[in-house]
Amino acid sequence: MSDTASSANSRPGSLAPSEPSVLAIMAPPRKRDNPLTRSLAGILGIVVLAVIAAACLLTLPWTLGASNSSGVPIPRYNAGEIANARIPPSLVAPAAKESFVLGSDALGRSLLIRLLAGGGVSLAIGLAAALLSVVIGTAYGTISGFIGGRVDAVMMRIVDILYGLPYVLLVVLLAVAADSVLAEYISREGARAAWMADRIAERGAAPLPDAAAKATLESQALAAIPPRQISPTGRAVLDLGVLLIAIGGVSWLTMARVIRGQVLSLKQLPFVESARAIGASRRRIIFVHLLPNLVGPITVYAALTVPQAILQESFLSFLGIGVKPPLPSWGNLAAEGLPELNPFQSHWWLLLFPCLALGVTLLALNFVGEGIREALDPKRARA
Amino acid sequence: MNNAPTTNAATASAPRPVLTVRDLAVSFDNRGGPRLRAVDSVSMTMYPGQTLAVVGESGCGKSVTALTTMRLIPSPPSRTDRGSIVLAGNGSTPDRDLLQLDERTLRSIRGREIAMIFQEPMTSLNPVFTVGEQINEAIRLHQSATSAQAREIALAAMDEVGITNPRQRLDQYPHQFSGGMRQRGMIAMALACKPRVLLADEPTTALDVTIQAQILDLLSALRASHRLSVMLITHDMGVVAQAADVVCVMYAGRVVEYAAVQDIFRTPRHPYTRALLACIPRPGSGSSRLATIREVMDDPAAMRIDAPQIPATAWWPWHEAPAGVRRTAELGADYALVEVQPRHWVGVWRTEGVQPGRAPDHAGGAAGEALAGDAAVTMAN
Repeated sequence: MSDTASSANSRPGSLAPSEPSVLAIMAPPRKRDNPLTRSLAGILGIVVLAVIAAACLLTLPWTLGASNSSGVPIPRYNAGEIANARIPPSLVAPAAKESFVLGSDALGRSLLIRLLAGGGVSLAIGLAAALLSVVIGTAYGTISGFIGGRVDAVMMRIVDILYGLPYVLLVVLLAVAADSVLAEYISREGARAAWMADRIAERGAAPLPDAAAKATLESQALAAIPPRQISPTGRAVLDLGVLLIAIGGVSWLTMARVIRGQVLSLKQLPFVESARAIGASRRRIIFVHLLPNLVGPITVYAALTVPQAILQESFLSFLGIGVKPPLPSWGNLAAEGLPELNPFQSHWWLLLFPCLALGVTLLALNFVGEGIREALDPKRARA
Repeated sequence: MNNAPTTNAATASAPRPVLTVRDLAVSFDNRGGPRLRAVDSVSMTMYPGQTLAVVGESGCGKSVTALTTMRLIPSPPSRTDRGSIVLAGNGSTPDRDLLQLDERTLRSIRGREIAMIFQEPMTSLNPVFTVGEQINEAIRLHQSATSAQAREIALAAMDEVGITNPRQRLDQYPHQFSGGMRQRGMIAMALACKPRVLLADEPTTALDVTIQAQILDLLSALRASHRLSVMLITHDMGVVAQAADVVCVMYAGRVVEYAAVQDIFRTPRHPYTRALLACIPRPGSGSSRLATIREVMDDPAAMRIDAPQIPATAWWPWHEAPAGVRRTAELGADYALVEVQPRHWVGVWRTEGVQPGRAPDHAGGAAGEALAGDAAVTMAN
């Protein structure tokens, strides 16, 4: 007792030990705020996404690789025997015959392999289309916002008009248009028809004498302008390119609007004027001073565009405009699975697993996008 | 016309002006309405080692003059209707009229010959780059330096503007700098290429008074050591008294008075200048209210200026023009800047008898030692 009393007397300003110190009140121990771990959902999303992406992409050489089981080399995702058709997943019903982890489809192909290959295709198209839309959207928005005035007004009205059109219609139109261009590029039918019309015109526009003469002319045309020889792989790549353009070509609108708004407010800031005052050119101001300031919104919208693009791809494939069978994608796997659901004999796994894969991936991607947004949000930084 | 000999002709050893603004008129598109004339008949002359303070209230054309000098105002909506801004040659280049140059040449002048610092140090630096990177950019836009050399130049510049521990500061971002430090950073960036002219657009407005004094001292020191010609734009007479050599008072886009700083404070001739000086609050003076601009300007006696030729009337945009003032569509026809006493110009109404004499040109200043005697004569007048 006397000890504490004397010490209190010797330091009159000191507080009793039980009371919290003033310093402790004023500066509570701060929890370290790591922007990367701010969103739990984001971390979960990244982990799930990493697992799915690794599984799909790392197995691509194997799933796309040739299988010689039936004598002729065909890609493994397309290899199967009709005898093994519609075997339920061995996970739930261990089968006597051939065993498939996730079951087999109507042609006896392993759903797991098709799901993995389809995931690779879907993810790759989603990423590429998102990248394309980010590039278009950023360029369009930056130019529109930086130039401003009438150019900006016209460019933004174009975006408004595109916004007003039904999104799906636009994608379908683009896909069909690009597809017909591609078809003409390969078959060259139009060029042949023009060539034949030219020959007929040379003969004084007289009608052809008979069917034999017409057949001769057609074979001549075929010799002069043969259809392009494109390997199945090349054809598949071109098809995917068309799809990519269709999806990327419509999903840049939001990006362009966001970036334009950012550029409009950024270019008013004094640092842009001070950059001009040290003699920086317009191009330098856009690329060196404005773009680095836009990395935040660009990243966030890119992350949110990827799931959108994947969904678009699956949707188009589901409608039959997208990835062409036998190349699988999650969309056309689901499309193939849908008619397998019937009241008599339900082959549920053919619909469930593609949809599950798609759903989980989209959710994970959205979580990641949200996590990035949270990590980059300056308003959350000091919270 | 007034045939007063120019200073340049009189003394061969006199310094040459580095920047000469003559009869500048700038107008802005006003969306269908008549064009808005922001600056009209503005002339000023800047010498090496001299601070020219441009004073006036908001919207009087101070900043437009500076930004036009840098050609930083987008055109349209702005348009230069008349005048010239001549940057003196530096040995390798001839005298050049900045208003006639193309964008490419202008870019090589901005930052290299004429640098500018802005009012808002908080936002004048790009938030995503370190201060060092931004100074480096200014250097490498104009000099062929390796990044190591540029870093050394940047270090020297940071040291020169009084940023302590520059080696560490160079790698910090603008948000890690205080307001005064950022303005020092801006000055370092502006001076990195050793320009001849520095346009300081209200460099201390956003700063508190002690930092303001430090920045003004820094500008004065740099002006002397670099023989820099500074245009100091401000609306603060205290800043003018502290930092200026020559003062140019502007109102409604025109120069109303132009003289050495001592003359402006001791013998202001235009009533508007007197009004500006009268409205500086003086603690302990006993007066509870300050004179309004109208109280000062509505006194006809105050408007009389004794010009060398005949008595003239001080120009004031809101007054009825006195008899004899020319009324033509010509720009600035009703206005003349007259040298009412040696090296003291006042804006008056232009009549048959009152014609503009030589353009305001005051070579005197703190750094113009050769002219010290000359300046004394002026003051004796």
